[in-house]
Amino acid sequence: MKDVLAKVVDTAAQKFGAEYVEIRAQKLFKTMLTIKEERVEAAKQGIENGAASRVLVNGAWGFASVGTLDAETLTNAVSDACEMAKAASQRLKTPIKIVEAKAVEDKVLIKPRKDPSEISIDDKLNTTLTMSSTVLHYDDHIKGCTVDYLDSTGTTYFMNNGGTYIEQDELYIWSRILATAKQASVFTFSREEIGSTAGYEIFDVETPEIVGERVAKRSVEQLKAKSPKGGTFPTVLGPNVVGVFVHEAFGHLAEADLTLSGSILSDKLGKKVASDLVTFYDDGTKEGAFGSFKYDAEGVPAQKTLLVKDGVVVGLMHNRETAQKFNAKPTGNARAENFRFEPIIRMRNTFMEPKDYSFEELVEDIKFGYYLKSFRGGQANLNGTFQVGIQEAYEIVNGEIGAPVRNASISGNTLETLLKVDAVGKDFELWPGRCGKGQIAFVCDGGPHTRVEEVLVGGSA
Amino acid sequence: MVALNQEETLSLAEKAVTLTLRKGAEAAEAFVYQGLTSTVSIERGQIAKSSRIIDSGLGIRAIVNRTVGFSYTNILRSKSGIEETVLKALSSAKASRPDEDWHDLPAKKPFPSVENTYDNEIVKLHSEDLVKVASAMLNAAEETDKRVFPIEGGVGTSYSSIAVANSNGIEGFDHGTVVECSLATIAQEEGRVTPVCFEFNVERRYDINPEWVGKEAARLAVSALKTKRMKTKNTSVIFTQFALQQLLNFTLINAVKADYVQRDQSAFKDKIGEKVASEKVTIYDDGLLNGGLRTWKFDGEGVPHQRTLIIEKGVLRNLIYDSYTAKKEEKESTGNASRAGYLSTPNVEATNFHFVSGNKSPEELLRDVDEGLLVYYLQGAHSSNPASGEFSVVATPAWKIENGTLAYATKGTMLAGNIFQLLTNISALANNERKIGQLVAPWVLVENVKVVGK
Repeated sequence: MKDVLAKVVDTAAQKFGAEYVEIRAQKLFKTMLTIKEERVEAAKQGIENGAASRVLVNGAWGFASVGTLDAETLTNAVSDACEMAKAASQRLKTPIKIVEAKAVEDKVLIKPRKDPSEISIDDKLNTTLTMSSTVLHYDDHIKGCTVDYLDSTGTTYFMNNGGTYIEQDELYIWSRILATAKQASVFTFSREEIGSTAGYEIFDVETPEIVGERVAKRSVEQLKAKSPKGGTFPTVLGPNVVGVFVHEAFGHLAEADLTLSGSILSDKLGKKVASDLVTFYDDGTKEGAFGSFKYDAEGVPAQKTLLVKDGVVVGLMHNRETAQKFNAKPTGNARAENFRFEPIIRMRNTFMEPKDYSFEELVEDIKFGYYLKSFRGGQANLNGTFQVGIQEAYEIVNGEIGAPVRNASISGNTLETLLKVDAVGKDFELWPGRCGKGQIAFVCDGGPHTRVEEVLVGGSA
Repeated sequence: MVALNQEETLSLAEKAVTLTLRKGAEAAEAFVYQGLTSTVSIERGQIAKSSRIIDSGLGIRAIVNRTVGFSYTNILRSKSGIEETVLKALSSAKASRPDEDWHDLPAKKPFPSVENTYDNEIVKLHSEDLVKVASAMLNAAEETDKRVFPIEGGVGTSYSSIAVANSNGIEGFDHGTVVECSLATIAQEEGRVTPVCFEFNVERRYDINPEWVGKEAARLAVSALKTKRMKTKNTSVIFTQFALQQLLNFTLINAVKADYVQRDQSAFKDKIGEKVASEKVTIYDDGLLNGGLRTWKFDGEGVPHQRTLIIEKGVLRNLIYDSYTAKKEEKESTGNASRAGYLSTPNVEATNFHFVSGNKSPEELLRDVDEGLLVYYLQGAHSSNPASGEFSVVATPAWKIENGTLAYATKGTMLAGNIFQLLTNISALANNERKIGQLVAPWVLVENVKVVGK
């Protein structure tokens, strides 16, 4: 593989005078299962080999992706990328440059305790079917359960014209469980995801029974829940909701490409944007976590990046292009879903640092408010408007957790909300998930239980 | 261009079916997808990138003893690679569990003809041509107003071909083209930033208007600069197609899928023949729509596309089916089996989900509203409850309507309610139909929507 890639890199540099050239190749094997109730919809296995070349010619990017590893096709693809970059450079106002990165030669081997590629489909079906039957037999009100399972194993290869060559094993395990319950005309819906880069041993901790019960219980409890009142209230966010807030409402704005696009953080570097209690990290080095890897898709080592320290914005997430613009170091945040996509700035494991409150202390002073335990989805805009949908919530009445609440959501302005963080818990949880930014990235997010003085809670009709 | 022509693609699919049967399957199906996408991208105010993605592959379904196995590969040139894929499909089937409801792959039926789904002009475009289109769009945006910053966008073309063959004699080939230009902008003034404003134009034929896209994306951003909060109240809301698509994607469209109804996850269970929407609402799922973005001759299983009446003057008439869900009810598939290229087995999905237009212009629709809200996009629609249809979302950008005109852009406004309730409160549809993903619809006026402000 190394010889093939070297020839391709050489073609772009010598024949087309590319300032920068990189080629990523992958050999991946996937197993996918879908269970609907207790029916196996299909057991699926697939091979995805392919390569992508990216070049910088006359200050513009060219990118070509092909689903093959054949040397001749790759050489044609890189030539194509160079021609396209030239075409794109015609109307360039500011030529693109990238920051220097240290040359690396490395081979990263993953040695999982339980390698998913060595586990039989039968075993994987038993695991997923057990999840589904745990959900279905939890309660008569449960109407449906869908379980999706994916494992992906293989090797990726990276070479650039700066002397970097990396072979890196890839291993992902992911599963999502959806449960629905119904009583009269009330439908409820609950979701849980499992994700790991360690190995199939994740199911020894998140056993099918534990996860199945968690999902089913939430769905059934929500049947008795009431709608929230619309308005602003003090709230305590659970680690799962803190995670999605850190990721969606803040994290995306600190992806340097979006910061450059005019995100509300664009003039906030070095400035205080949040309460003193707020410290955020994006960390690609947490072992086994769903958003971890050794080298990113530009061959830069992953690292633990401090984004906010004691309320002050101190860092952004960079690739080599944005690092050059900000006169910063690349942070190893360039990721590509697969050979069909170009690397862009993505989060890894993003979280808030714990402080010193117990859960009881967070709740005890609240006369009326909400405890938002688990999220359903979230989204933010460059101007800092965020929305997070909640799948599990409770009222807080006179310092105690009260009745369950369904279909709540919170919204507001990220920075205004961060200034209102008035107490941070001492616990910590990290949750796996998938993030979409034109392509999918596997990530984690989390933090401690956190209290916000007031936030807009949108009620249902 | 893509690697295989029509004959080679069909022959590959047929060979894969024959081999799967020979290796022990009772029934077999092969699906071949080829795609070529070319893009010129705008990043932060300039054209900075051009890319091409070529992707092709083969997916095989093997059926053994009422169990279904699936395998795919993107290595099409090697005979041993295909044989390995066949064997993996069979081993997947053998490891899987029998399904009592499995009957058969679909039978052969004649394919309809479709119009305006392929344009050779699109296939012939080069990067240089796309750069010109992107420049025109960018210039139009920048000339509209200095406060506008085009953050991202681009121009793209794609060609794709599909072929399907099965052991019941189905063999089909179709191909199509798409051209698209889009621009996302923000406007900045005195430290204020607008939400991202987006416009686009997508067509199957080479007939797009990049200048209009550039101007509109810029105009929207500027008009979202000055904002006020509005008070919490129930009011009239006009949803543009963007907002409507976001609301319906995970709710109404799922509710009419036979899969969801059979699994008791749809609010439309046992509702055929009943009133589920205002009488102004008539919806077709139209897989044959002239120039539709999801128009093809046949679906992911080789079943002919058709036009299915879903809601007629507010009354639910039909659901959408693939062949598995249809056979469960001893019905015929409506041609709604969808696939993610060669990577997946078929799933029930809408084709072109077509709201029949009303006869008012958008200006007339606006003029009829004494007090209300015009909502362009929603944030967080994917967090609605898909089964019950309950939603609680941010409307941004959105404009307050007073006495039939746009008064000001709003800030921090949420909408809450139930999509199925909302359907019964539709009071008028405009005549400005457009295509957005699977939705084909005009602006829609809905009464009595809960708006949560201050």
